[in-house]
Amino acid sequence: MRIGVDVGGTFTDFVFVLADGALRYHKVPSTPSDPSSAILRGLGDMLPSLCEDVEALVHGSTVATNAVLERKGARTGLAVTRGFGDAFFIGRQIRPSLYDLDVPLPVPLVAPADVVEVQERRTPAGAGTDALTDAEIARVVGVLRERGVDSVAVSLLFSYVDPIHEERLAGALREAGFSVSTSAEVVREYREYERTSTAVVNAYVAPVMDAYLRRLQESLTGDFRIMQSNGGSMAPGEARRLPVHTILSGPAGGVAGASKIGHLAGHPRFITFDMGGTSCDVALHDHRVSVTSESSVEGLPLRVPVVDIHTVGAGGGSLARLDAGGALVVGPQSAGADPGPACYGRGELPTVTDANVVLGRLSEKHFLGGRMQLHADRARRAVGTLADAMGASLEDVAAGIVRVVNSGMERAIRVISVERGHDVRDFSLLCFGGAGGLHAVDLAAGLEMPRVFVPGSPGTLSALGVLGADVIKDLSRTVLGLSLDAIEEVLAALEREGRQVLAREGFSRDVRVERMVDLRYAGQSYEITVYYSSGFENQFHDSHQRVFGHCNREAPTEMVNARVRLVVPTPSVEIPEIAPGGEDAAGAIAGTQACWFAGWHDTPIYERDLLRAGNVVQGPAIVAEFTSTTLIAPGMSGRVDGHGNILVEVKR
Amino acid sequence: MNALELEIFNNLFASICEEMGVALCRSSFSPNIKERKDFSCALFDPAGRLIAQAAHIPVHLGSMAYAAAGVVEKFHPGEGDVLIFNDPYEGGTHLPDITVLCAVEHGGRRVGYLANRAHHSDIGGIAAASMPISKHIDEEGLRLAPTSLMEGGRWNESLLEWIRGQVRTPEERDGDLRAQVAALHTGRQRLLEIVGRYGEARVQVAMEDLIAYAERTSRAAIGAVPDGTYVFEDVLDDDGIDPGPFAIKAAVHVNGDALKVDFAGTAPGVRGNVNCPMPVTVSSVYYAIRCLFEKSAIVNHGSFAPVEIDAVEGSLVRAVYPSAVAGGNVETSQRIVDVVFGALHQALPTRIPAASQGTMNNVAIGGFDFLRGRNFAYYETIGGGMGARPHADGLSAVHTHMTNTMNTPAEALEQHYPFRVVQYSIRRGSGGTGRHRGGDGIVREMEVLVGCECTLITERRLYAPYGLNGGRPGKRGRNLHIRKGRSEELGPKVHVLLEPGDRLRIMTPGGGGFGG
Repeated sequence: MRIGVDVGGTFTDFVFVLADGALRYHKVPSTPSDPSSAILRGLGDMLPSLCEDVEALVHGSTVATNAVLERKGARTGLAVTRGFGDAFFIGRQIRPSLYDLDVPLPVPLVAPADVVEVQERRTPAGAGTDALTDAEIARVVGVLRERGVDSVAVSLLFSYVDPIHEERLAGALREAGFSVSTSAEVVREYREYERTSTAVVNAYVAPVMDAYLRRLQESLTGDFRIMQSNGGSMAPGEARRLPVHTILSGPAGGVAGASKIGHLAGHPRFITFDMGGTSCDVALHDHRVSVTSESSVEGLPLRVPVVDIHTVGAGGGSLARLDAGGALVVGPQSAGADPGPACYGRGELPTVTDANVVLGRLSEKHFLGGRMQLHADRARRAVGTLADAMGASLEDVAAGIVRVVNSGMERAIRVISVERGHDVRDFSLLCFGGAGGLHAVDLAAGLEMPRVFVPGSPGTLSALGVLGADVIKDLSRTVLGLSLDAIEEVLAALEREGRQVLAREGFSRDVRVERMVDLRYAGQSYEITVYYSSGFENQFHDSHQRVFGHCNREAPTEMVNARVRLVVPTPSVEIPEIAPGGEDAAGAIAGTQACWFAGWHDTPIYERDLLRAGNVVQGPAIVAEFTSTTLIAPGMSGRVDGHGNILVEVKR
Repeated sequence: MNALELEIFNNLFASICEEMGVALCRSSFSPNIKERKDFSCALFDPAGRLIAQAAHIPVHLGSMAYAAAGVVEKFHPGEGDVLIFNDPYEGGTHLPDITVLCAVEHGGRRVGYLANRAHHSDIGGIAAASMPISKHIDEEGLRLAPTSLMEGGRWNESLLEWIRGQVRTPEERDGDLRAQVAALHTGRQRLLEIVGRYGEARVQVAMEDLIAYAERTSRAAIGAVPDGTYVFEDVLDDDGIDPGPFAIKAAVHVNGDALKVDFAGTAPGVRGNVNCPMPVTVSSVYYAIRCLFEKSAIVNHGSFAPVEIDAVEGSLVRAVYPSAVAGGNVETSQRIVDVVFGALHQALPTRIPAASQGTMNNVAIGGFDFLRGRNFAYYETIGGGMGARPHADGLSAVHTHMTNTMNTPAEALEQHYPFRVVQYSIRRGSGGTGRHRGGDGIVREMEVLVGCECTLITERRLYAPYGLNGGRPGKRGRNLHIRKGRSEELGPKVHVLLEPGDRLRIMTPGGGGFGG
């Protein structure tokens, strides 16, 4: 039996793949203070009845992320080249917001007093202009011991060329009992601030991750892996050494799961749309999961590969209000989990979810399987206050709130597509669970996207993605100024290093190797990653043409980084087919309710679990399931495919 | 149109500008546009009034709003025409900022104008990076009064040829200009799509309503400022040619929901390069007022309708031809903000911060790099201390007010230029003391490995950033030239020759403190 676990903010989802390929799902409330207890509880619920040995367990972990967000990581020291003690605090010398006089002071992960400057200096050519002496190493160890830090990030200038100074210092620090992260082992690329920041985050979360994994491993048997931010998975040893690779792994499982299901359904070009309570994640998928090495957490840049996800500050809990000029605006303030939307029973202010309740778009009976009561009267009162202030009808205001929040998301989706050189009209909108299905059809219509794709059991998409995530090891090294021969040597060295790491974790067979280089035109500062094979320069010009709209095949190029990705495929998960049926979906109708689409319509409510392959759901319709609701507008229809996905062809 | 639709149309119009920005960023050549994002894009209504803008650089905010109406009225661009201009005396700011503008028609009727403005790192002139210690505008580079770059859809190739001939990096200029025009096409397509979807009449009503809306929010914000006349005066150190100080004085009159800034009492124009063209002055005032609005406020023509600005023609803040203006955009603009905030503090003592570093610390170094066998030209600006706020300390080591561009990493710098960064640190203790401390400045020390020339255009070397309510001033900045261990203090605006092994040590000002 193989198990995928996705730890979300509210629920921890499980997918069990049994020896015969059958799937079982389970869900328990998350336990944010110690996520492992929800995992162990969920396993305890299911394992006895399933009676199979656990071959593999993969899980997405938010431990490192939460340590940073809540500032609960280790007390961390930082060792840097002399003269650069403050470079980490200066960053790129920009302020986060142009017109905000009240911009808050940053709370750094390292206290200024815990930074120690090291007497040493290297140059781009790799030569030491200033040697690192043993006496200096001893002094630095002494200072950090005196400061009382637990973990140390070591980040010296030009260590991407030759990390020997960092390694010598790290060796002594480890011997003295510190947890140590060197910048070159975390990300061996140029640009000192970004490399330092990545190393500091790694050092800050490493002891926390170490303790967490130790606790979990004591209670588990079998192959055990952790989800990475790049859409792959990693063994616990690597997760302990390089926990920074898990920081943005939360949404990566969902995108990985969507990738699988999109391919299976024959729609490999889509934009994912995952709307939660306070924000909404979107990611563009053009036949493969897009990965970027530019990301950040809490304003701190991370230079490790992560699934390219864009977050918009609008969700179901976003508050609607009239601003000083009398415009209806939604967000960025949110009702959060407490008090939450008015319809949850405690809040008073109108939210996007309340607007959907007023419009009859949520089924009270089916909301969270009927476990949570929806207070429609409270939603109407909250939206009504706004309607009174505006002198408009309750329905118009509620529909207005939905349109305003959609227009903001539309703007975000447009920008991410244009930025990546794509036309949004060539993509489907793939919507995850939660509130997304209520907005997806409107949103797609506004963007002229041809179809909305609602995967079967969207609530477990992430757990499926996590389980199917291949073991991936990404390595990179800046090669500015090196000859082609030297770059080949670097690629070979990266591959050797990656294979060693994988072998240490027990993966030495079936390793697939991808070699890539980041290229740019000499003098520019924008790089494009291309596969390193014959004709890679043409590949670069072609990509440059596609993404930037022009290229110059005569212009000299330079290689910035060499990259190697090693992939160990995991057994794929077969998505089971659902029972077939005819076009008539009436068998799944569980009732009707009045629902507003520029006027009240009697709208059937379909139970997702009762839909059969081949069913066609005519709009207007509400399709309800445990954690999500999909709305199909009048005049449109959704077809259920063999795997239980609903595909809505969008009409303008 | 009602309240329900304002935000929807705002999102639509804003997305036109954002997509133009993405297109420009994607297709441009120079790092200054691609990486530092020194550009902005805007949409105007058929009367040339600003409807939406995506600005990464505050100094572009007001100057674009100010530019279009006059240019449109005078030059009447038609469908298929693209105007180009950078003349500070006709719609521009300083010569490196080049603007392109086009009209958009639907069914033979004008539906709006689009423009974008980008900072070109070289447009000729007597010094590398086109930031000289100049005495005449023509020393700063090529100057374009509004002229057709495209006419009826065809490129004005002879103009492009002429531009290429005037600059040091013709390929890059050519590529960047074509990218700017490509971005206009992107914006045009989106605007026409929106007109197609909602109808021309509804789009025009939406533009009108958004202007009225922005004016209401602006009047609400200004209405919250107590009535009265608030006067403040501060100075510029010098102009690179003559010694200062040169006074900048503003009287801010608040009357109900309208506000007037009168620069009477400001010094006359100077011989050096710190003269400030009117659009830059307007931008600086708009920036200060914009900071009083909500962070997410919609900003367009209407936002500044309640704001009137008066300045004597030929004064330091309303430069006339042929005054040199290279430093006006980067330095004088900062002092104008200091002066307007100094006045507003009297009205809003719990909102306005003390003076920030008040300079961009412009450093331009150029010469022949015999180590790499090529000419080089390097330009950077350095952050400093933000003024203390009434309720919090100021941020340290950041760019403040009119700019927000990134630094160049030491590892990139040493890879490409014959420099070595010796020190890059926070200048501890440089922020003014007080109940809340001003942010600290930066110390940046570089050694040059080859002989080269260097231009510094800096401020607050002689007169410190002020504190408020008894807070102490921030420390003044310092420019040091270190040769063989001996250090010489340089003036605020200088051109110096450096020998191999010489070091340049720039210590940027701290912010003023707040409260005794």
